[in-house]
Amino acid sequence: MIERWALISGLKGDLDTYELIQKDLKKTPGNITLFVLGDMIGPEKNCNKLLHRLINPKSNDLQPWCIYGWWEEQILLESGYRGNQRAEALRINKGEEVVKSLINAVDKSFLDWIAALQFGFVELDCGLIHGSSKDVGDDLTLDTPPLTLLDRLTRLQVNRLFTARSTQQFHLELTEGILNSEVHDLTGNHKKEQKVPQKAVIGVGAGKNYTLYDVGTDNTQFVRAGYQSEKKKNGFGLHF
Amino acid sequence: MNQAVISCLHANLPAVEAVLKDIELQGITNITCLGDLVGYGPQPNEVIELIKEKKIATCQGCWDEDVVDGLDACDCSYPSQIAERRGHFAHQWTTEKLTKENKDFLANLPYSIRKDECLFVHGSPNSQHEYLLPDMDAFAALERVENAKAEILFCGHTHQPYIRELANGSISVKVKNSGSKDIQKKEMNLPMRRIVNAGSVGEPRHGGTKATYVVYNDITNDVKIREVEYDIELTCKAIINAGLPPIFAWRLKNGFEFAERAEDASHFCER
Repeated sequence: MIERWALISGLKGDLDTYELIQKDLKKTPGNITLFVLGDMIGPEKNCNKLLHRLINPKSNDLQPWCIYGWWEEQILLESGYRGNQRAEALRINKGEEVVKSLINAVDKSFLDWIAALQFGFVELDCGLIHGSSKDVGDDLTLDTPPLTLLDRLTRLQVNRLFTARSTQQFHLELTEGILNSEVHDLTGNHKKEQKVPQKAVIGVGAGKNYTLYDVGTDNTQFVRAGYQSEKKKNGFGLHF
Repeated sequence: MNQAVISCLHANLPAVEAVLKDIELQGITNITCLGDLVGYGPQPNEVIELIKEKKIATCQGCWDEDVVDGLDACDCSYPSQIAERRGHFAHQWTTEKLTKENKDFLANLPYSIRKDECLFVHGSPNSQHEYLLPDMDAFAALERVENAKAEILFCGHTHQPYIRELANGSISVKVKNSGSKDIQKKEMNLPMRRIVNAGSVGEPRHGGTKATYVVYNDITNDVKIREVEYDIELTCKAIINAGLPPIFAWRLKNGFEFAERAEDASHFCER
């Protein structure tokens, strides 16, 4: 049986989209593991029904494996789960009303569950995380310098990094990296040539846009819930 | 023109005086200090007063930050609970001894100093607590310099002096996004950059007993590691008389201090 991961993020309380994705995944061949890479909550709509469903899946639901995202971090900050810190970045960028909307969108009874979520998963040689190994708000995109991407991969010691913060879907592969390092210290000179094995950073999308990853073949397939996958047969990035 | 870079003075007044004398004998007047004026050693106020008197440009080290903020050093830098207890004791002792004026001085030190293409920091551009060890992943090391928009990064914190040149790098990037069927490929040449670690004046961890610092010539780009002898006995006696852990004196006298050395070159403090 083919093993696949479904990677979703940015639902922001949208239970309808979550149900649509669950419906999609039931039709998708293979043994599927569902990862929710954060931003289950947001300020736009009431998130309680979605949170309840994630915590208490229906009998025919794929079990979701959730980590926390940027919006979860904001509500934890504002609710006193991070010591004296508050969601000041959110307050400054979006205003007091958005902070209030976020607090009102999530019942307090869910906060302990959110606070217990992990920062990320490391599965096989893959890191699954909302932002990056540096920060939950780290916004990795196609335009992020390769050295920065390599740093984020190195910190987690993984070859694939699945990230959600940017909300974009992309597959960026780093290959044939080489760098000469020469260290001079009190014991003399030490030269080393370092090579980078094939590594990749994958943006999984947000909301209805999600990603399927074929663990056996390393193929990435970008999908929009309710629609046929963009390249159903082969998947995108077949040769990556 | 030659300039000297010193780091990790750690309240060791005889070592600081000897290094400043060595710098003076070379006719160097441009000195930059990478922090950790205090901690471990017995003369924190005296060392700060000397740095102030000489008007040496200084950035804040991890001990300077922790003493000011009332924090103990993050336990990630200690390999054992005994080492951690010693560190915490030294923090408490230093906090009690420092004058208010000197605490204010430490509190107002900048995190980094930039001079043309050179950036001066204590640990790394990311954090005063991050160790840039000489065997750190080369690409990650290059990222630290490049993202800081510097050509030469001067750091301390590890107490091991070294000069690391990262050169002749390249990488291929293949990109595919959901909006396109094409795969874009591009080759990128990576810039040549250097990391210079100034070692430690007051608590060397390079396997010898001498204080270390570096001299950088900004015309020839040449960097030299200097080793300076100082009166170790004097510092050791002051450590014992101050009631600080005797192991602080023992390791200075014996010239090795592996007990509290961070082993993980890519470690990043999460505090």
